[in-house]
Order: sequence, then C-alpha cells, then structure tokens
Amino acid sequence: MGDASSASYIRMVHHLIEKCICFNLNKEECMDALEKHANINPVITSTVWKELEKENKEFFETYNKDRVDRNIEEETMQRIQKMLSDAAASKTDDDEEEG
Amino acid sequence: MLAVSPVGCSGLEERAAATGIGMETEAIGAVSSDLVDFDFTVDDIDFGDFFLRLEDDGDALPDLEVDPSDIFTEFEEIAAGGNNGVTDQEVPTSVNRPASPPDVDPCSGVLTAEENAAVVAFVDVEEGKGESNQQHADEAAAAANNGDFAAVMIAAEEKSTSSTTSSSQEAESRHKSSGKSSHGKKKAKVDWTPELHRRFVQAVEQLGIDKAVPSRILEIMGIDSLTRHNIASHLQKYRSHRKHMLAREAEAASWTQRRQMYATGSGAAAVKRPDANAWTVPTIGFPPPPPPPAPPSHPMQHFGRPLHVWGHPTPTVDSPRVPMWPRHLVPRTPAPPWAPPPPADPAAFWHHHPYMRGPGHMPTQVIAMPMPAARFPAPPVRGVLPPCPAPMYRPLVPPTFANKDQQDTQLQLHTQPSSESIDAAIGDVLTKPWLPLPLGLKPPSVDSVMGELQRQGVANVPPAC
Repeated sequence: MGDASSASYIRMVHHLIEKCICFNLNKEECMDALEKHANINPVITSTVWKELEKENKEFFETYNKDRVDRNIEEETMQRIQKMLSDAAASKTDDDEEEG
Repeated sequence: MLAVSPVGCSGLEERAAATGIGMETEAIGAVSSDLVDFDFTVDDIDFGDFFLRLEDDGDALPDLEVDPSDIFTEFEEIAAGGNNGVTDQEVPTSVNRPASPPDVDPCSGVLTAEENAAVVAFVDVEEGKGESNQQHADEAAAAANNGDFAAVMIAAEEKSTSSTTSSSQEAESRHKSSGKSSHGKKKAKVDWTPELHRRFVQAVEQLGIDKAVPSRILEIMGIDSLTRHNIASHLQKYRSHRKHMLAREAEAASWTQRRQMYATGSGAAAVKRPDANAWTVPTIGFPPPPPPPAPPSHPMQHFGRPLHVWGHPTPTVDSPRVPMWPRHLVPRTPAPPWAPPPPADPAAFWHHHPYMRGPGHMPTQVIAMPMPAARFPAPPVRGVLPPCPAPMYRPLVPPTFANKDQQDTQLQLHTQPSSESIDAAIGDVLTKPWLPLPLGLKPPSVDSVMGELQRQGVANVPPAC
C-alpha cells in the first residue's frame, strides 16, 4: 500500500541524490547531507544510491573515477600550496635574518 | 560423416564424395532433419540489440539481390513434402545408387541429392555466379520437379565440377562453418565482430549508403568468408538501423526545441502532476507527454543506451551504459538490455532508456558509437557534470530550462560544496518536486529499493519529520 507514495518518495530521494552528485558528493556525504537537510533516513539514501548505481553503472564508474581524480588533484594542489607557503615563509625568515 | 547415414545410404556417400561436395552433403543431411534450425537467431546476432529486433529470424529478411532462399524453398518443399514423390522418383533411378530406394525415408538420400544441388546452387549464388547459377539451379529444380533424379545429380555434379576449382574451397570452408546447423537456407553464420562491422561501415560509406551494393561491399571488404548474402542481410539491418537513428535524432531535436520553447515560455507553469505520475518526470511546462512519440516501435533499443551506434564495440560490458539523459522519447523499449521496463509508459517518455533495457546481453560484438556520435550532437549540457561522459549520443536533453537555480547549482561543481548551497539545492527539490531531474539517471526500480529496505528493516513511509 502506499505504493504510489513509496514510489514518489523514492523518486524524491533519487532527485536529491542527483543534486548531490551535482555537488560531487560521494555516497556518505550524500547520506549526511540528506539526513541533515531533508530528514531522510540515511539507510534509504544509501539504498537508493546503490540501486541507482546498479542501474547506471557506467555513469557511476566514471563519476567515482572523476572524484578520485579530483581528489588527487586537490591533494596535489594543496601540497603545492603548502610548499609554496613554506617556501615563502622560509624566504621571509632568511630575509629577516639577512636584513 | 553424413548426418544421415543409414546403412542403405552408403552408395550415396560415395556419390557425394565423387561429386566433390561431401561437405555439403553432410550439411544437407543435417538440413533435412533440421529444417527449422536457423543458422543464427536474432540473439546470436548481436546487433539485434541495437535495432529492430526482428520477430522472425534473420533469415526472413528479403534478399536484396539474388534470392537463393527461393531456390531453397523450392527444394525444401520438394524435400520436405516430397518424400512420396521422391520415392517414386527413386525407384527408377538406379543409376548411381546401389542403395535401395526404400531407404528414402531414413536416408533421405534423394533429398540429399536434391539438396546437394541446392547447396551447390546456393554456393554459387553466394559467390555471385548469378546467371549460370540460376540456370543450374533451374535445371536442378526442373530435374527434381520432373522426378529425374539422375538429372539432378548430373546438374549438381556439373555445378560442382565447374565450381570446384575456385569455389569449392570457399564453399567448403563456408559450409564447414555452417555445417552443423545449415539449413536449406545456407546462411553461413557470420560473426559480425566490431572490426568486421567497422570494415563493413567503411565500405558502405565509401560507396555511399545508397549506392552500397552487397557485391561491391564484398569486394571492398575483401573478406573471403563473407558471402554476398551475409552482407546483404547485414546491410539491410544497418540501413534500417540508420533510419531509426535518424528518426530518433530528428525527434530528439524537435523535442529539444519544444522543450526550450515551453521552458522559457511557461517557466512557472509547472505542471503539477499527480502522484501517479511521479515517475514521469513532470517537466516544467511540458505538455502531457507528447503523443506516443513516434518511434513507437522502438526499436530503439538503441535509444537509451548510449545510443549505440550500430557497429561499434561497446565500451563496457553489459549494463554499464552511459546514463541516459535524454528525456526524450522513446517510449518503450522492447527489450532493454538493462533493466526492467520503465515504470510507466508516459513516464517512459522521460526516462527512457530504451537501450538500457533489455536482456542483459550486451552483444559482445557490438557495436556502439560512432554513428550516433555524428548524429546526435549533444546539445550543450548546462553545467556539464564532469562525470557525464555523455557522449555522443544522447541527444542530451539536459536541463535546458532557464532555471536559474540550476545554473547556480551547476556552477558549484568545481568548488568545494558549501553546506549552504547544498542545503539550498536540497530545499529546492523538496519544495518543487516537479522539477526535472538534473541528471536524468535511470531511476532505480521501486520494487528492488523497497525490497532492499525491508531487508534492512526500514519502513519506507516518509519518516515523520
């Protein structure tokens, strides 16, 4: 019973998940977000996510790969930034010392 | 050797050997007992996935040029129904058959001989010896008809002798491969591998789709193991596939236009659809699902799946297919490779993944890509989602609605998502359920979700807030 409402609920969750994907969230992040902002049981989110993944395997494969790539990219950027700031910091020190 | 080898047929075996068409005999033997054993079924031919799934098997395709099947039919009839007649014919023939006529039944010797002729005729037909072939075939047919067994054999022999030199090898190899299940309709089973298909497409394009004639295609491809008939039927399928692709594309284009029209025109005229249509993506301002989008018969099995262009290997396996974004047509697909048929028909309209559905069997050989790529120049996707490979096919009908929210949202893609924006987006969805799905992923099956939830001990009912 409540089939229609279940169906529409699931559709809603599906929609929300898609939105999260637009934000590049992963499954866990999505579960958190939906629970926090939409009061959706994370178990439901997780289930719908998994089902979506099953139905759209290719998409998710690419998506996940991209996320990984992006994460790697981010990490690298951060490291570079850190190095730069470290270098800047030590340079300043040098200057100060010398100066 | 002979599939049919009752004692009495030994003479026939000798004879067959003598005529140098032993292979065919074997095939024929099989044939006579296996009249309905088609060389390939649609399932075998992977490209069945892509397009029209013919109800009947490939054999039914009308031949583009010569009609060897007609020849066969003739023989088959004779063979099948003619046991009686044959018997009569048999009796007088003692020419080369020490075997006794009464063996006709089990032996089907006579049939074999006739079919020998048929085979030979066919072989020649395949090799393009059109006319002379016809003559021989006619002769053989006439002979058979007249009950002149000897004549048939002779005709067959002639045929085989003349064709022995160059064609016997080909014929034999061909028949070898199709031996076991060959049918009167000698359609050697051709494995249309992606590579093979690619060459085929190249040849066709070289000649021009309209001018592409099987014999020329065969020449260009230069592959011995292909018969003109194979090419002819493959060509036919290819053409029909193209037509559908074109039709789809046209439709997709027109839908996109309409959508834009409606979207911009009546932004807020959100059609609030009743729950029942929850699955149908009620899109803003969209008129009730357009009349069963023409491609009803969708064979569009290709739609949806990443429009598999007929002929290119699928990038991945089985199900994984690029998500369809389309919201377009595609009413229903007969046998989507992926998943269960769309929840509702009209709904299907939106989320159609025609391709997607279907027997999980992704044609190993298959095809995919290229063509459509040309055809469906994916309309610019708003805020293309990085992961969306979307390629080519999809006549992407991404959310083109002039939806500012979406635009804003999309821009978030590259930055670290902030909680507020996520919250805003989520709120948006909650308050405006009629919004189209941003990605248009194939929706999960309600049943499987519910089942899964039950297993986890969760009641679906929207949890009380």
